[in-house]
Formats: sequence, structure tokens, C-alpha cells
Amino acid sequence: MNDGVGGNQRRARFQALCQSLRPDLLRFAFWLSRDRALAEDVVQESMLRAWKAQDALLDENAAKPWLLTIIRREYARTFERKRLPTVDVDELIAKEEPMLAAAEEQNIGEVRAALMKLPDEYREPLVLQVLMGFSTAEIARELDLSGPAVLTRLHRARRLLRAACGEDTRLDPQE
Amino acid sequence: MMDHNHYRFAVMADPHDPDDELRAHREACPECRAFTDQLLRFESRLERALRVDILPKADVLPFARKAAAAAPRSRRWMTMAASVVLALLVAGGVWLTLPQRSLAADVVAHMAGEPDAWRRTEVPVPEPDVDAVLQGSKLRLKSGAGMVSYASSCDFRGHKVPHLVVQTPSGPVTVMVLVHEPVNKSTRFDEQGYRGTIVPVPGHGSIAVLMRDAESGSADVERIAARVDDSIVWTR
Repeated sequence: MNDGVGGNQRRARFQALCQSLRPDLLRFAFWLSRDRALAEDVVQESMLRAWKAQDALLDENAAKPWLLTIIRREYARTFERKRLPTVDVDELIAKEEPMLAAAEEQNIGEVRAALMKLPDEYREPLVLQVLMGFSTAEIARELDLSGPAVLTRLHRARRLLRAACGEDTRLDPQE
Repeated sequence: MMDHNHYRFAVMADPHDPDDELRAHREACPECRAFTDQLLRFESRLERALRVDILPKADVLPFARKAAAAAPRSRRWMTMAASVVLALLVAGGVWLTLPQRSLAADVVAHMAGEPDAWRRTEVPVPEPDVDAVLQGSKLRLKSGAGMVSYASSCDFRGHKVPHLVVQTPSGPVTVMVLVHEPVNKSTRFDEQGYRGTIVPVPGHGSIAVLMRDAESGSADVERIAARVDDSIVWTR
């Protein structure tokens, strides 16, 4: 790696970029794992991997999807390494209760609890769309799915969430 | 001709990205319009629910620590010496310019964590949701502010602050109402691809208004800031 002034500037820029994206990356990792401590570990490890591989990032505008891919891989690796036990969602909700209930409005806590219970295959595309601002095509690329499959999962995710939160679902479409 | 089922499936998959055909159906069908309004109210809750307060325990990036540890001893001495010089400069008076710069920098840094905020959309946030976000800061918006496409109560410098996005012909404009951040005078900034201004609001802190560089000129930002300021009704 170039240790000159240009190299230092590039490293500083990369560091600033990671710092600015970090809150959302942590949120993404949290909703991926539903475990705050695990999310922090995964993001820290991912940042190190990103730092070592920063030459692979040719366009700063692509930093977010690039970092997200690293986080998803790191999370999968954590499962392989630690062979994490099957989770009890109610236990997870109880463990993260202080953070989930920290919202000012009670109905936000209700949505968070429903999100914790949403199956992974629906929660992940929803988080990518709503929290990370990904388009359907970007989600399809990231999750290796077809566009229609992504739309179906997003639709089901919202249908399940709305039902769990007691919303009026009588006008919801049939698949 | 699109049927109700097709419309509702599409809008439930992506409520913020209706194409022309979907928009036309919504306009023509009161039942689907009511369905969309209900869905968008829930969407606003969903967006806020996903934004959990999850600040890291350690505020240092792992490679920042590693890079510091890996620096040669001589460079570390030079760094320390430079730090002392910098500290003296700060003590010498340079600090006078820092608070407003850091407020602008914090506002810009906050933007990176809010990707949804920059979405171009024609779908407004329902008024009760905008009111709920503004209520904590004791204000409401008159109708002249423009179409609000994003409203969130965000953590900023230890306080919950309203973060709104108003759609304008020049593109989305972000407004942060900073009742806890009084400033003495207007400050323009142009940082990391964002152009904006922080204007004082006597007795109510300040307002930050910013746009992305490519979409804005300084005049746009100033004009929009003035319009937003005029549209605010303080309720205390």
C-alpha cells in the first residue's frame, strides 16, 4: 500500500466513509442477527476486512453495497465458525428489550417486536429496501434472487407485519 | 387496465416507487387510495422502527486503532508534537470558528445514515405522522413548506430532532430543526457533496437546510431555507 501523502489521504477518506456509514451498517447487522452484541462484532470484523481490501473499492458511491456484502458474508462465517444454536425469538426480544422499547411511541415498539419475529427471508429484503434504500434490482443482486421473487418477499413481509401489528388487512391483495 | 389486486400487490412490495400506471390507478380508485394512505401510515412506523438507537460501545473503528498502533515510533513522536502545536493553536483562538463548522459537519455526517431521505418521490408522508415528528420540538408546518416526503425523529447530539425532507423542483431538500443548537449568524457550508445553510431562529435554536451538491445552487438553498423558516409555526 502506498504510504505517501496520497495514500494517507485515501486512508483518511476511507475511514471517514466507514465512520459515516457505520450507524446504518450496525442497524443492518442488528436486524440481520437480531442480537446487538453479535451485530457489533460482525461490523467490527467486517470493517477490518474492508480496510484490508479497500483497493477493491473502485467507486466510493458503491461503498455501501460493498460493505453490506462484506457484512453478510461475515455474518454467515460467524455461523459457520461458532455453530450458533437455533434462536428462540421470544428470548431474543427479551434480551434486546431495552433497545427495542426505547422508541418514544409505543406503537414503534410493537413494530419492532413484529420485525424480530419475521422470518429471515422476508426481513432481510425489507431492511435492505426500507433502511438501506436499495432498489428491487439491487436487492435481487445482493440476495441472488429474481426481481419478482424480491417483490413477492417484500409484499409478504409487509402483509405479515401489518397483520402482527393489528392493522386492517381486509383490503390486502391475494397472491 | 390494472385491477385492484395488481395495484395493491405492487404498492405493498414498494410503496415509495409507484410508476405512472400505478399512480393513474390510485387517482382513479378511491378504495385503493384509502388502502395506500393506510399503508403509508404503517410505512412511516416501519421506517422509524428500523432505525434503532444502536450506537457502538467503542466509538473507534478497528482499523483506526490498528493504524495508530502500527505507526513507526518516530512518526508517533511527530504526531504527538503536531498534536501539541495544534492544541496551542486551538488555545490561541482558532477555536472561535469551530463550533459552527462542527455543527455543519455533524449535520452532513447525519445525512449518510439516512439513505431514504434522498429518495425522489411523489408520495407524501401523511400529515398526522409529520405532526407526530414535529410535536416534540413544539412546532408545526404551514402548508406552504412543500410536500414532505420523509419525516423522522432522529438522534442528533444527544437530542431527538425532527428531520424532514421536502420535495422541491430542484430536488429533495433536507431540513433539520435544531432547537437545542442556537447559532449567532447564518453559516453556509459545502461539505462532502452537500451544500447547505444553518440559520438562527431566535429563541428556538437553528434550522439546517441542505441539498446534494449536484442538485443545488447556493441561491436555491437560501431561498428554501427562508421558505421553510416562514412555514414554521412555533407552538410554545
